[in-house]
Amino acid sequence: MLTVYGSELLTKPPKADGKVHVTYWEKWTGAEFDAIKGVVDYYNKSQDKIQVDLLSVSGIENKTLMAVSGGIPPDIAGLYGPNVTQYADDHAVIQLDDLCREGGIKAEDYIAPYWEAGMVRGHIYALPSTPATTALHYNRALFKKVGLDPDQPPKTIDELNSMADKLTKREPNGHVIRTGFMPGEPGWWNWAWGPFFGGKLWDGEGKITFNSPENVKAYEWVQSFSKKWGASALQSFQAGFSGTFSSPQNPFMTGQNAMEIQGVWMYNFVHMYNPKLDWAAASFPAAKPGLEDPTVIDLDVLCIPVGAKHTKEAFEFLKFVESQKGLEMLCLAQKKITPLKAVSPGFIEHHPNPFIKLFIKLAYSKNAVSTPKLGIWAQYGDEINNAFSEITIMSKTPKQALDDVTNRMQPMLDKYLERLKIRGEQ
Amino acid sequence: MLLGKILVFLFVILQMALACGFIAGIVMAIVRHSQAKKVLIQCALVGLSEVFLFPFVWLILTALKPIDETMSMPIKWIPSKFMWGNFVDAAIYGHESLGYYPFLVYAVNTIVICILIVAGTVASNSIVAYSFARLRWPGRDIAFGLTLATMMIPFPVLMVPVFALFRHLDWIGTYRPLWVPAWFGSAFSIFLLRQFFRTIPFELTEAAKLDGASEWRIFRTIVLPLSKASLAVVALFSFMGAWNDFLGPLIYLLDQKTFTLSLGLQAYQSQNGGTSWNLVMAASAMVIAPVIILFFFTQKLFIQGIAVTGLKG
Amino acid sequence: MKSISRKEAMAGYSFASPWLVGFLLFMAYPLAASIYFSLCDYSVLKAPVWVGLDNYAMLLHDELFWTALKNTMIYAVFALPAGMATAIILAMLLNSKVKGMAAYRTFFFIPSLVPQVSLAILWRWVLDGEHGVLNPLLNKLHIPGPNWLGDPHWVMPSLVIMAMWGVGNAMLIYLAGLQDVPVQLIEAADLDGATSWQKTKNVTLPMISPVILFNLVMGIIGSLQVFTVPYIMFPNGAPAHSTYFYTEYLFDNAFRYHKMGYASAMGWLMFVMILILTMFSLKMSEKHVHYQGS
Repeated sequence: MLTVYGSELLTKPPKADGKVHVTYWEKWTGAEFDAIKGVVDYYNKSQDKIQVDLLSVSGIENKTLMAVSGGIPPDIAGLYGPNVTQYADDHAVIQLDDLCREGGIKAEDYIAPYWEAGMVRGHIYALPSTPATTALHYNRALFKKVGLDPDQPPKTIDELNSMADKLTKREPNGHVIRTGFMPGEPGWWNWAWGPFFGGKLWDGEGKITFNSPENVKAYEWVQSFSKKWGASALQSFQAGFSGTFSSPQNPFMTGQNAMEIQGVWMYNFVHMYNPKLDWAAASFPAAKPGLEDPTVIDLDVLCIPVGAKHTKEAFEFLKFVESQKGLEMLCLAQKKITPLKAVSPGFIEHHPNPFIKLFIKLAYSKNAVSTPKLGIWAQYGDEINNAFSEITIMSKTPKQALDDVTNRMQPMLDKYLERLKIRGEQ
Repeated sequence: MLLGKILVFLFVILQMALACGFIAGIVMAIVRHSQAKKVLIQCALVGLSEVFLFPFVWLILTALKPIDETMSMPIKWIPSKFMWGNFVDAAIYGHESLGYYPFLVYAVNTIVICILIVAGTVASNSIVAYSFARLRWPGRDIAFGLTLATMMIPFPVLMVPVFALFRHLDWIGTYRPLWVPAWFGSAFSIFLLRQFFRTIPFELTEAAKLDGASEWRIFRTIVLPLSKASLAVVALFSFMGAWNDFLGPLIYLLDQKTFTLSLGLQAYQSQNGGTSWNLVMAASAMVIAPVIILFFFTQKLFIQGIAVTGLKG
Repeated sequence: MKSISRKEAMAGYSFASPWLVGFLLFMAYPLAASIYFSLCDYSVLKAPVWVGLDNYAMLLHDELFWTALKNTMIYAVFALPAGMATAIILAMLLNSKVKGMAAYRTFFFIPSLVPQVSLAILWRWVLDGEHGVLNPLLNKLHIPGPNWLGDPHWVMPSLVIMAMWGVGNAMLIYLAGLQDVPVQLIEAADLDGATSWQKTKNVTLPMISPVILFNLVMGIIGSLQVFTVPYIMFPNGAPAHSTYFYTEYLFDNAFRYHKMGYASAMGWLMFVMILILTMFSLKMSEKHVHYQGS
């Protein structure tokens, strides 16, 4: 009997104290978590009606969905940009149109792609919290070591290839010790290579275009690394780094990977784990003329799940975060840019990230790419990752792998659009 | 290509099976002299024990290492200093901002749930098995057949509707979906206990009935005391099931504070770097140790219990 | 006579009531609901929408479904016999009167006591191609260790090895069965001059054949439902979907892609498969299984 009581106690939410408690689930950990905690603490101290309870949740895109299905969602969820469409289609997050209008949050204040990411079929479902762009990060010390000019990063893919060749080091038995560039590192944007080469993942209507010629070309480039250095040698080299992103064993920090595509936050992590590293960031090389400054528009968003108990109070907090003050506080702490067009004086100048101007410029690039706004993105993304893996271990040719994904996802897309119609949406 | 894969596969499996069987085979098939046989059996046991224990030795060694030696290349076998403090750290160290709580919290959660599940299992299944074994009622044998059939129902087929059911009851996020079903009986335990109960001589209970004792009385005072071994087996198996359960907590528990050990360990592991592996291993070791000790001292009882329950038919 | 029966029947029902209620609530209702959901498009957040056999049709065309099924079957086909053989052999070894038996029994049983999660993490370490522990050992013996976890050809063997390692449960059950083998039969065979192998084949194995059958059936049910270890060691069935198992795909469909109707259809198919395989085993066993003193 005691145990039943005990078990109930263990799962009971905390007692009330006169304030409205807003539960806020965020994905961040470590220093990035501390950044949002700073904002939350500031907000909690600044007024006494609302208390935001911040929680770090791993696997947040799944957990939130499960929480909504389970009827116990948080009041605010800090999701990833690509999740928004699925959540909107599943009626898992509420529309924020009216709240935004009342609160004075307008599209015009934001850098276009970041605002767009939160819109689905003309309605606002999410607001950007921390935006990011990606660039080529490279190790200047290694460049010098192999005789490359550390201030001349590659500007085209061909240059990247030849520089990577110089930078890669192998033992006589084929075992890889250092790579010049690994398309699979960090492996967070495996879908972006096609768009970087000018291809599209979806035609915007009813067709999956994953196996278009530009995409095939992109993945042939990806596979060229495996061909050159040996698929299993590369694979086991890379596998050794899984889970080391936020640690001193990160291959970029240890100098085992000379160049990689990374986001605006990388400065923060290098600073934490290997401040002596001599590195720089530059625009990712262009695949061909006309495709300069390719970058991935990645972002974190804030949503209010369906079934949240304190929608109004939650939005009050969101208003604060989305204010210029709030966003700059948060983004500066995470060493990122803000999604707003307007920038306070001194923000850029005093920003610790030495390459902040580059990242801001990239946000306006005409070759910026983002994930397609598809409700089935979760599965499509998984399939692309799987195809990427098949391509790098060379179990399939790029054309085969892309064809397979297309053939698998096209019926899923058809079914999905059909079901949307049945459910009465457009 | 497929054929090639299958052959490689078979080769490996064959090797493994041969290794085990070879040792045992040599031991038993060729040697007749019973003394030598005993020695060879000893050798086989020692050899195989090493294979089985090896991952644990590694577990303990890692638990004792300072953090920078856990992932070092080439492998460092013996820690340079033995950090016994890691065990304490693992138990009480937790960092909310990193999303995990001290393992002590997870341990307490898991123990609470396990107690409830084991109590429920033993209580409900013994009562139900008694009914199937020693009471006569219309439809009993059909019901028992159905019970056996339910052992074949895999959890995944029930997963979705049961989840929806618990959602309607607003039980998601609490521990109730994990332990309440244990109080309603489970096919496997019912089967085990029923087999055993049937071996208790009917004369004993007939005599008590003639004396006017109620069924409940008979159950409590005659049948239960005789069934200690079987009940212990049921308790052990249900404890192990509850202790190890991962899928259940995965879909029913959402607040990290409420996680069980399985879930907590996994959440720990899926961090994006900066995981203190030595602490994780230390925590795992502490999780495993009490169970091992428990088993070591009670194993005769369990084996007896299983034997006596007669899985023979 | 009649009234005793009635009283006994009432007692019977009331004693059995927890199970009867539980069965309806947690088995019968969900089974029925599951069939219904499998015929609908359902995402928990909204009411189910009837689509008939559409989900099943989609499954048949879903390449990932077949891949997951194939992986699960391959695993079962290899892990089951390997596991059973290991368990039986270990049990036979443990059945001898050698010193330190209690310790050995504990050693072999420990793997089953450990939470699956710890096991998965531990084995991930031991088997890692670059940073693992097993390969350096093998290298010392001049055997080149493969990339156990990264090479699609080797992941399945890795999982099977892990399955063999964790047979503690089954081993105990066999041990109990072995201790039940009438000593007279063994002694009689000894007197006849039988070798150990002959004794095993003609006496021991047939005597424990019901136990083997039991473990086989439980093994079929269990190995088709494998989830925890692959889920933790190989997120998303890496590398290249080679370890994507059936239950994981079901889980993903239900809780990640929110296609609960689709997941229910998968669940039903799994149930049907288990039924068929079990029936098959039972039929086959009639010839081979020997029941003691029925």
